[in-house]
Amino acid sequence: MDRRSDDVLIIGGGLQGCAIAMFLARTGWQVTVIEKNLAGRHASGVNAGGLRLLMRDAREYPLSLRAMEMWDNLADLVGEATSEACEVRLGTSQIALAMDTAELEWARARNQDMLRRGIYSEELIDAEELHRLLPGLANSALGGLISRRDGHANPANAARAFRDAAEAAGARILEHCVLRELKPKAGGSWRADTDAGLIEAERVINCAGAWGADVAARLGETLPIKVLALTMMVTARVKPFVTPVVIGIDQPLSFKQSVVGSLVIGGGISGKPCLEEGTSFTVMDRMASSAAATVSAFPALAGVPILRTWTGLEGATPDGIPIISPSAQHHGLWHVFGFCGHGFQLAPAVGEIVAQSLIDGLVDPRLAPFSVDRFAPQPKLVDEALQ
Amino acid sequence: MNIPTKPMLSGERQDALAVDADVIVIGAGPAGMSAAIELASAGCQVIVLDLQPTPGGQIFRALQSNLEARPSTDSLLAALGSAYNAGRTLIQQFRATAGIDYRPETTVWDLRADGTVGWLKGEMAGYLRARHVVVANGAMERPTPFPGWTLPGVMTAGAVQTLIKAGRLQPEGQIVLAGTGPLIFLLADQLRRLGVRPALIARTDRFRDKIFALPHIRPAGIPALLKGLGWLARLRLAGIPMRSRVTELKAQGRDRLETVSLTVAGRGMELSCDLLVVHDGIIPAIELAHCAGLALEWRESDASWRPKTSQDGKAQMAAGPALTSGPCRIRISGDARQIGGADAAVAHGRHAAKAILAELGRASVRPPVGAADQTATDVQRTMAARPFIDAAFPLGLAAQLPDDTTIVCRCEEITAGSLRTSIHGGATDMNLIRGVTRCGMGPCQGRSCAVTLARLLGEAATRTPASPAPFRARPPLRPLPLGALAKLSGLDPELAEVVSLEDKPEAALGGDTNG
Repeated sequence: MDRRSDDVLIIGGGLQGCAIAMFLARTGWQVTVIEKNLAGRHASGVNAGGLRLLMRDAREYPLSLRAMEMWDNLADLVGEATSEACEVRLGTSQIALAMDTAELEWARARNQDMLRRGIYSEELIDAEELHRLLPGLANSALGGLISRRDGHANPANAARAFRDAAEAAGARILEHCVLRELKPKAGGSWRADTDAGLIEAERVINCAGAWGADVAARLGETLPIKVLALTMMVTARVKPFVTPVVIGIDQPLSFKQSVVGSLVIGGGISGKPCLEEGTSFTVMDRMASSAAATVSAFPALAGVPILRTWTGLEGATPDGIPIISPSAQHHGLWHVFGFCGHGFQLAPAVGEIVAQSLIDGLVDPRLAPFSVDRFAPQPKLVDEALQ
Repeated sequence: MNIPTKPMLSGERQDALAVDADVIVIGAGPAGMSAAIELASAGCQVIVLDLQPTPGGQIFRALQSNLEARPSTDSLLAALGSAYNAGRTLIQQFRATAGIDYRPETTVWDLRADGTVGWLKGEMAGYLRARHVVVANGAMERPTPFPGWTLPGVMTAGAVQTLIKAGRLQPEGQIVLAGTGPLIFLLADQLRRLGVRPALIARTDRFRDKIFALPHIRPAGIPALLKGLGWLARLRLAGIPMRSRVTELKAQGRDRLETVSLTVAGRGMELSCDLLVVHDGIIPAIELAHCAGLALEWRESDASWRPKTSQDGKAQMAAGPALTSGPCRIRISGDARQIGGADAAVAHGRHAAKAILAELGRASVRPPVGAADQTATDVQRTMAARPFIDAAFPLGLAAQLPDDTTIVCRCEEITAGSLRTSIHGGATDMNLIRGVTRCGMGPCQGRSCAVTLARLLGEAATRTPASPAPFRARPPLRPLPLGALAKLSGLDPELAEVVSLEDKPEAALGGDTNG
């Protein structure tokens, strides 16, 4: 059996895991990523690919702004050819629609709050500008929020780009490699029994996405994660009519038009997840509300047929922001998961900031809001050496 | 929508939900019609969903309207012959049977093992539920990717028959028929009667296939064989040129078909051509069964999947997780279960219906002793010619996998070469290849490329014969307009409870800005 000792073992080869691996490997750390399927197979590769600052929780802004700079200069990060395949399109803007007065009120309050915080990426727009930007929008739309820097990218290719970049930087990426057992060793390091043999590492980062809470639970740490099978629908090709990505405020609405003309519709509705088997089902009964939100915003789309659906397994926290935090129970363990369906854009910044925190041995203050401490009181840190 | 009226069986969630009928039959071809007649005659409420405007399936397509349009269609009906007119009695009986709620022009886009069926008619869509579902959605022609097959001017035999039957059109110009299987001879004979003379019938089968097939002849299969020999004899008598052992078929032309080239017994030939009609046998349409999570088996000899069923059509669930719980309520009948043609489909539809009646406790009149197996015997009798036909007409145009430049997925224009590249790059399953290449992502949902891709994977497999799984099938199986989905009816209250992402931020977080 293969036996080796790493500086860090990353569990999960999604976008977050690969981004962290890439930054660590570039500073010379010996990194192994284990992935039970293929890297980026689940939420990382099959999400809507939104690159948005719009409607983010204010606590995510420092990360999100940094990430936007990184997406804007993706070639510097992953290389020219690879970055092109990621099809990053920034500046197409994203717009949140206020379809009723309650949503409009929320948008106003939100806008004032963001301005007060010194965050200027969002603007409140009135009905007139909204209709100018979105031809075909229902007359009932009252206004909205726009973030003009926003855009989108190709998630499958981006997940692959970060995976390949991590590997090129020297990280060992083991796909189809299941974690059987993970145990802290006396003296603070870790031992993992995997399909690829025993792996010993100084530190472990749990980037297991929808499976993140399971990994934590195996180490006795309870983290509140709801598993979702977020569903996407894609339509037949229609004449290009909308450039911005359109999202709802309270409506299950999220859609963009792809380069070839098809509409990619999301909206955060879950199918039936089967976490253990690593699969999920589309539940069309639930997608009716997503279709209704789309058609009520753009009535002319009623006749456009949906051709396909798919789902991606994702973990969501009770407060809608991720867990990016050292464990409350174990030394040398980090949890980086629970991105609530909007972690795609954050990934490069998460990779950079978590990697730097590990190197410095000091948690970056920008990660403070994402601590595990915000959930139910955790037992005190136990000294592993005494176990 | 029907109002549910039936009493519930205890202890099963699906029955706690309102059912719309005792049985839903998908497809109004020979199998679906005969099952529906049998079930409704025994007092069952039956809903029949069918894509076409009139009953008949592929084989009896538009027969009713062609009969109603007589005498202007007399010559057409005569040309289409007994194989077509044989459907008349069945269709009349289907229309006359009380208790059949026949819904034409209805597309089925979802099927669940618990008996839930997603339908679309015009701008309306919904779900219907029944205690039993009979899937009788028939077969499709085997996809035959050869060089030039996507050129305008190349059609399948089935498509030409559709144009003749439903469009009352007939082809013109220089016509070449290429391929194998009984349908190509039937079509040639029908064309002959319409006064259309094909320039060539290019058969891929060989005389020695017939010799090898001889041991498969069963007495009950002889009438079907005689019918086939009759078509051949008439074509020979009419002096229509016919070559066998044809290989290396190519369709050529700039924007449309101009010439056809082929090799006959080692000698190349090329001829100008306006219409190339190809056919390489038919294979079960598995998309509904697959979507419902039913078990399929890959048959290497036939290069296709078929659902795993018991003799009376009862399907079984595939291994692994399922969307719904409870017993599988689906039976599969006719060509969708096993290719056998119209007579076999009628017999099996009746057989499957009998089995359902027994389960429902509705076998109104107890059959006399010994007669209980009559429908099973009929199934066997009507399938008797099949082993001979399968051996006599082996895979032809699709026997060789396409070369690298030939398109496999016509929706997304993906060549065999790019698929092979993906496979050699380590892709081991169809879903992965779909994700990487877009093969199977088009409007046909992979129906026309799945079997070829499965074989390309098999070609590269180093170990024992591969048993490939088809593309993951998720609803909608057919295009479903957003407006119809928005107003979807018949939702399952438990499943329909929306579980959604709740990541809307607070409008104002309070004083602390958290760094």
